[in-house]
Amino acid sequence: MGDKPIWEQIGSSFVQHYYQLFDTDRTHLGSIYIDASCLTWEGQQCQGKAAIVEKLSSLPFQKIQHSITSQDHQPTPDSCILSMVVGQLKADEDPIIGFHQIFLLKNINDAWVCTNDMFRLALHNFS
Amino acid sequence: MAETPMWEQVGTSFVQLYYQRFDTSRVELSALYTDASCLSWEGQQFQGKTAIMEKLMSLPFQKIQHSITSQDHQPTPDNCILSMVVGQLKVDNDPVMGFHQLFILKNISDNWVCTNDIFRLALYNFA
Repeated sequence: MGDKPIWEQIGSSFVQHYYQLFDTDRTHLGSIYIDASCLTWEGQQCQGKAAIVEKLSSLPFQKIQHSITSQDHQPTPDSCILSMVVGQLKADEDPIIGFHQIFLLKNINDAWVCTNDMFRLALHNFS
Repeated sequence: MAETPMWEQVGTSFVQLYYQRFDTSRVELSALYTDASCLSWEGQQFQGKTAIMEKLMSLPFQKIQHSITSQDHQPTPDNCILSMVVGQLKVDNDPVMGFHQLFILKNISDNWVCTNDIFRLALYNFA
């Protein structure tokens, strides 16, 4: 049985760490972003660690729990790691809703940071 | 009124082209990948244009139609473009289903090609 590829190990660790931080104390997410990071949250763009943490800290719920259905990881041509997560979340007393999130991770000075983050709820226009 | 950023123009054009080809003539998707491209299709990994096209051409349906609910685009630190799509699809006479897909686009010799592609249906384990 082969070892898991490194990008899968790093991607999985990151994803676990991210949602654990998000669900327990999202003000601590700052450590995973840098000043060059971009976040697109439900179509709204935020640039840089400070703006991102402000956006995430100001989301209007008290408690949240994420449940991961699937995660996929790939290496990119520029030695970054691309991670895609599909899952469900429950905020406060709202019904469970599906979500989709992607992360691009880059190794800077031996730490893997998130340079790109996109989040969307799984809501569709019924055509 | 500000112009749409370049990465949004390129990302939007790519997404439109990708699904148009997918829905009408999948064989033409070949031009969008390179020998270094990676595809994760419902958790299964494929490396390189040939393997990717073999997978896409062997998908077991006669007709398919994609409908895009949302798309988000960001520039990456290495001058690539990251695109995330949430939408719905209908295959043959099956019910409409949600899907999530992401692409990394890289400019090689003045062409934007897809180096990374991850696809998942919006199916959840009901926790």
